[in-house]
Amino acid sequence: MARFWKRWKVRILLFFAVVGPGFITANVDNDAGGIWTYSAAGAQFGHMLLWTMIPITVALIVVQEICARMGAVTGKGLSDLIREEFGFRVTCLMMIGLVIVNFGNVVTEFAGIAGSLQLFGLNKYYTVPVCAVIVWLIVVKGQYKTVEKVFLTASFFYVTYIIAGVLAKPAWLEALEATVVLPRKEMFLHQDYLYMVIGVVGTTIAPWMQFYLQASVVEKGVTRRQYKASQLDVIAGCIFTDVVAWFIIVACAATLYVHGYHNIADAKDAAQALRPLAGDYAYILFAVGLFNASLFAASILPLSTAYAVCEGLGFESGVGKKFGEAPVFYWLYTILIVAGAGVILMPNIPLVKISILSQVINGVVLPFVLVFMLLLVNKPSVMGEYVNSRLYNVVAWATTVIMVGLTIAWFWTLRSG
Amino acid sequence: MATFALTELLGAPVFDTGGSRCGRVRELALVPQEDRARVAVLIIRTSTGDHLLPFVSVTSINGGIRTDVPAANWAKGDGTEGMLLLGRDLLDQQVIDVFGRKVVRVNDLDLLQESVANHIVLKVGSVDVGPRGAVRRLLKGIVPLVALRALLRQIPPRSIPWDFVDLIETDPARRVKLKISHDRLAKLHPADIADIVEDLAPDEREAVFETLNEEVAAGALEEVDPKVQKAIVESLDSDRAADIVEEMEPDAAADLLADLPEERTSEILLEMQPQERKEMVELLEFKENTAAGRMNTEFLAVHVAGSVHDAVEALRHFEGGVETVSTVYLVDSHGTLAGAVPLAKLVLATPDTPLLALTQEPLISSHAGAREKEVAELFDKYNLMTLPVVDDNKKLTGVITSDDIISLLRANL
Repeated sequence: MARFWKRWKVRILLFFAVVGPGFITANVDNDAGGIWTYSAAGAQFGHMLLWTMIPITVALIVVQEICARMGAVTGKGLSDLIREEFGFRVTCLMMIGLVIVNFGNVVTEFAGIAGSLQLFGLNKYYTVPVCAVIVWLIVVKGQYKTVEKVFLTASFFYVTYIIAGVLAKPAWLEALEATVVLPRKEMFLHQDYLYMVIGVVGTTIAPWMQFYLQASVVEKGVTRRQYKASQLDVIAGCIFTDVVAWFIIVACAATLYVHGYHNIADAKDAAQALRPLAGDYAYILFAVGLFNASLFAASILPLSTAYAVCEGLGFESGVGKKFGEAPVFYWLYTILIVAGAGVILMPNIPLVKISILSQVINGVVLPFVLVFMLLLVNKPSVMGEYVNSRLYNVVAWATTVIMVGLTIAWFWTLRSG
Repeated sequence: MATFALTELLGAPVFDTGGSRCGRVRELALVPQEDRARVAVLIIRTSTGDHLLPFVSVTSINGGIRTDVPAANWAKGDGTEGMLLLGRDLLDQQVIDVFGRKVVRVNDLDLLQESVANHIVLKVGSVDVGPRGAVRRLLKGIVPLVALRALLRQIPPRSIPWDFVDLIETDPARRVKLKISHDRLAKLHPADIADIVEDLAPDEREAVFETLNEEVAAGALEEVDPKVQKAIVESLDSDRAADIVEEMEPDAAADLLADLPEERTSEILLEMQPQERKEMVELLEFKENTAAGRMNTEFLAVHVAGSVHDAVEALRHFEGGVETVSTVYLVDSHGTLAGAVPLAKLVLATPDTPLLALTQEPLISSHAGAREKEVAELFDKYNLMTLPVVDDNKKLTGVITSDDIISLLRANL
């Protein structure tokens, strides 16, 4: 028995030695917003959004790699670089935008906490405040690093989506075909469909992740020389994220969409629909997975936002500082959590709708962040010989243009009714 | 004496002798080789490209810059070598606030206008790091100037006098041309320097460590977080790293070298003085989590037959760190540990007192192979400041000091 434990201890240690910022970011990426959006995408449109997964993965790898590279080469965070190269006013506007978008994301995480615990019959009026306090204490008491490890281990629950997907007995061939073939052209004239495409892109390539990843690379002290390892870490993380996303969509398509449940109103809907088809097992896994994802992201998001804002605008920041030494940092962090949890406590708030909306906003804001990233990463004065290759620029600019195009198209469908 | 904000002057219109508007201010530049604070040159953007205008020809600043040199005579070009451009090099960049002992980001610069012999002189007065500069830059051009000025007067300034500002420049050639040194930073406590360095990006850390003298760099490096410490040493040239490591406390240096990749460690060792290298190689052979791995090999040992006078003489000539001498150790002619005399007893006794009469009982020592935990327990049990370490033959080989134990315990908290 002792030998067994020892062997596992070694394995877990090895895992943490290899796992880096890229993989962690990828795991946070499949947060409540991701799970809601992918589920809704599968339920509402079946396999019709699967084609987005391959281009999104390519774009995600390119975008994340740019951030990791900027972090390793400059040793500075994304908001620091924006400030140094584009001045105060641009940074300020960008930070206001980031706070607004991330507030939406924090709300979504608490929606995930409320929704997942509702599945176990726990009332949101108790669970949300308790979890908000836990999240707040984790950082203020300086236990973040320990907790990160627990969450990371727990994030193996993401594998449960793959299991759930398999147990739901999807139509494999059709799903694979839909992954490589575009849907009919008319779909792109549908307002709801465009909305969902923006949401899926927005939740997978969320603006805040770029800030978070770059900061983590800097924090880890990755240098130009060790950069190759980080590149692998980023690629592996991105692929893992999107494989999980693919399975969530497929699982929901095989269960909800096929049986005519096209609208998910809360976690109960998603899980209830899974229960009769895939048994109690998948139902519990779904709830536990959602809870872990939400709590993990709820502790990372406000923290990452507070760091980005304070560093960009020149306020004191850092979990190592006391409340009085870094008041803006702690207040911003606290307000994001309290207000985010507060929104979810409003009676009859539509958890899923509001979550998907926040992911769509992510998608709308994404091109702005991408433009600044691309301008930065192509500056020889910042990146030296590590500026983007042409292929990278093509992919990243294409992503930017497509997202702007989708947003305009969606607004256009609104106008024409 | 009027004050101007840098961001008010950047973009301001420039009029020549004829009173016609010829361009806008693109940059204000100092030439630090001549004067660290005085604005020497204006770079002016005109329809025909950038021009350099020496500041001595400026006759008025208020309501647009006026000069007594016709626009046709402005020197063309962008030769800014040896110049510190206030907008590009300072605005939004990080600088070290030597007085407040931290790294800050520049929101704006306050420039003071003085009149010297009918000439206008503009000097950098202070660096604005507070909300006043932030609000000015956010609202400039959006809110009417009068309203903005009234608003700004309500905001208390938070600024650092120019004399307390240390610049960070990562290009070594430019550092020389701009006379950027870290003399002021070097006067801070090593622990404060370490905190500041930890807040910088890797290239900037390297820049600071290349400019500090070895002794200061060594002191600061000892206090830096081990992970950052490793990164700094890896970024420096081997001979520079060796110079700094030589100045460090041997135990701290050994810990650091042990953490580096083997190849790097031997490169640094090769660059060290033979004497120091030998000592370091010996220390490196000890396992890190034993008493020997924590000990300092620079200690004060006096012959057991000596008197207080001998001990004080030895103290006068001792070159190691002061923390190891709170106890003076007695050894016989084979180097075997024979006793320990607290510094306090030494001070109170007359010079001719034999040292053996002052020894502390019982004589506590640790074996070189003892585990760190046992060592910490000894410190706790006997309330020690220092602990002698002996080898298999009871020969005194090193001393562990309480600060090593505090670091050890904190690392395990």
